Parts: sequence; structure tokens; C-alpha cells
Amino acid sequence: MLTPRRASKEVLLHPLTISRNENERVLIEPSINSIRLSIKIKQADEIERILCHKFTRFMMQRAENFIVLRRKPVKGYDISFLITNNHTDVMLKHKIVDFIIQFMEEVDKEISEMKLSLNARARVVAESYLAAVRASSPVI
Amino acid sequence: MILLEPHNYIIYTTLTEKASQPAALDVQFVDFDGVRFRLTTPDRKVPTALVLSMNIRCWDELVRYGVNEVLAREYTSLLRAEPENGYNVTLDVNLEQLPASGEERDAFIKSLALLKRNALAAPFEAGFQTQKQLEAGGTGQGELMALHYRDEEVIYVQASSDRVTVIFSTTFREETDRVFGKVFLQEFVDARRLPTIQAAPQVLYTTREPPLEIRHLQGLNDTEDVGYVTFVLFPRHFAKAEVAALTITHIQLFRDYLHYHIKCSKAYMHSRMRHRVSEFQKVLNRAKTEVAVVDRKTASGRTMR
Repeated sequence: MLTPRRASKEVLLHPLTISRNENERVLIEPSINSIRLSIKIKQADEIERILCHKFTRFMMQRAENFIVLRRKPVKGYDISFLITNNHTDVMLKHKIVDFIIQFMEEVDKEISEMKLSLNARARVVAESYLAAVRASSPVI
Repeated sequence: MILLEPHNYIIYTTLTEKASQPAALDVQFVDFDGVRFRLTTPDRKVPTALVLSMNIRCWDELVRYGVNEVLAREYTSLLRAEPENGYNVTLDVNLEQLPASGEERDAFIKSLALLKRNALAAPFEAGFQTQKQLEAGGTGQGELMALHYRDEEVIYVQASSDRVTVIFSTTFREETDRVFGKVFLQEFVDARRLPTIQAAPQVLYTTREPPLEIRHLQGLNDTEDVGYVTFVLFPRHFAKAEVAALTITHIQLFRDYLHYHIKCSKAYMHSRMRHRVSEFQKVLNRAKTEVAVVDRKTASGRTMR
């Protein structure tokens, strides 16, 4: 019941892509009784890619807690949500929307904060090590 | 704790404890880079006669670079000529002959806890000496000393007339480690721009491409997972004996230090993610409606189930 069968065209509505640029986009696929929403999260470099992968994987491993979350993303996206009519029966629609919006807002922030903290730690680590080596060797 | 301690904590605490209360013991433990230790009292009736043995992977190489001389200098009469079976170095420690408690005893126990550090110091000391000879001669390069201190990781030490080059090869098992390692190593290179630490040794790093000094060697790993870190030590880093000792202590811990902090960052990221995901969970839980529990009853008053 959950995923609309690709075979029957009648139950599928027009999919919609909203994109900020080619690296940040959202795909919304509505159907007669559900809606699938896939997000491609911004990944500017190797570090963000790793952090994003770690973060989404961490969440998707806990998909059963996040009722509307899928275990695997749609190809080309980082994370997918599937909201069915059953979900909207037991949950408030506008609150689900709030959740999705908040997720989208915070995931970028979280990843860039993690990246900053990694850089900050790296700097402190390098400086304390080199300062310790230097302390042992005053300039002559 | 940002910097790692060079001494072995277990040796230090056990000996401190046994110095005040001798008791029979037999403990085996490990240190960084697969170094194994064993601390025993061979005769249970004489708990004051302790034996400390160490097994280190690259012992044969260390012998070639003069580890025996270094250890003989550091531990003099404690050093046993024939090490215990299965170990490379054995020290006999007699608790009755320890210096009186206080600073002196503490320093003595510390020096025993530095056994691994002292053994690994041999190639560095040899390098520093070679540099002095070469400097007098004007030109030339010393032998390239390789130390296979871990399975896939090597330290190279080479003296030239004006500097000593130390090269670490280190492997990153996971992609995350590799990416994090790159961030850390880049900071080591950049940190030297700060005026306060300009006197620190120059640090260079490459991933995959071995540096020129060791490019001629056979069997170098050139996959994506390998990183090469080069430290250039100038005479000011080892001209004075105590400065040289500190430099050696820090440099040989570099690999452990780097990997320790990579692991720390990963642990921190993980706890952060845990927190963030639980926050998201709370937001989603707010969407759930309370399922109203209403007793439905029939006209006669019985509860419907």
C-alpha cells in the first residue's frame, strides 16, 4: 500500500523538484495516498560529504523511530521521507511539515558546525603540538 | 588532555605502588605501536626483585641504530645481558635499592616508565650525531634509517649536513580517518605561520606521493590511504642535550598523537549527531496526536471491545 506502484499511472501525480542549485534540491513525489520527499543536502567538499553521509546514515539507521523516514534514500538524493495517509491520520499535518522544514534548516547548520569544530580542533591540536616542540627549542 | 604523555602509565603507577608496598605480581600490558610489556616478580618469596621486559616490533632495526648503547647509558646496571624469553629488553629492578621516597624516587620510576621512549630514541640520537659529523665535513648525507614500528607504517630518519629529516608514513584505515587526517595535517602545515611557533620544526605532508628522500625505496605503499609527514629538524632543535631529548620525545609520539585526535574528533561528532537526532525526534513527536481513549458503551451499559 505504501509506495504507489509505478505500473499504475493513475495513482501517481506530477513530481516536483525545488532546487537552489544542482547540489541542493528537494524532490517531492505525490501520489494518491502518500507523498515522498527526498532531499539532497549541500556538500561543498570532501569533509562535508563525509559528515553528511555519517549524519544521514545515523538517522536512517533509526528510521523506525522517525516513522516518516525511509531506510534508503532515492537515488541521487541523501535522505528520503515517505508520508502516507496513515501517518497524516495519526499525526498533525502541519507539525509534520514543521519537522521537515526544521530538518532542512538544521541539517546544513549542523554539518557546517561540525566542520568548523573539526577545523578548530585540528588547529588547537597542531598548535599545541608544535608549541611543545618549539618550547623545547628556543631560537638561537 | 591535549598532549600525550611519553611515559607508560601502567609501569609508573604499578612501580610507585609496589615501591611502598612490595607484593608478588605478574602483569602483561601494551603500549602504543604494539609494544608489549611484562612486569613480574620471578620469585614469589622475594617481592622486591622485579623484572620489567619489553617486546618491540622493530628491535632488529633498533639494534642496528645503537639501541643497546642508549639503553646501557640510561639503565646501566639494571639492564640484563640476556633478555627474558619472548622479549627484547629486560631490566632487573630491585625495590630495596630504590632511592629514598620523594623526588628522586619519582624520577627513577619515571625513567623506567620511559623505556619505550628511550629505545625508540636510538635512531634519532644516531641521526643527530651523524648531522654533527656531516656539518664538520661540510656536505653529504647520512644513512636513511628506516624503523618499521607498525605493520604498514615506517619512520625514516636521515641526517644531512644542515638538518635531520624525519619522515612518518601513516595509513588511514577508513575514509573518514583519511579525510580528518588531511584536515589535521593541513593545520600542522599552516600552524607554523603563527609568529609564536615559527621556531617549531617545519612540517610537510603529502598523501599518496612519497617525499623525494624515500622515493627510491622499494615496496612503498602508494594507495589513497597512506600519508607522508616530513619534519625538518634544524640544529637548534637538537643542539643542546636536553632540548634534543624533548624533541625526540615529541617527534616519536607524533603518529599516536595524530591518530588519537582523529579518533577523538570522531567520537565528538558521534555524540553531537546523537544529540541532534534526538532533537529531531522530539520535533517529530510533537506531530503525533494523542489517540483519544473513549469508552464506547452499548445502550444497556456494557463496554464495547
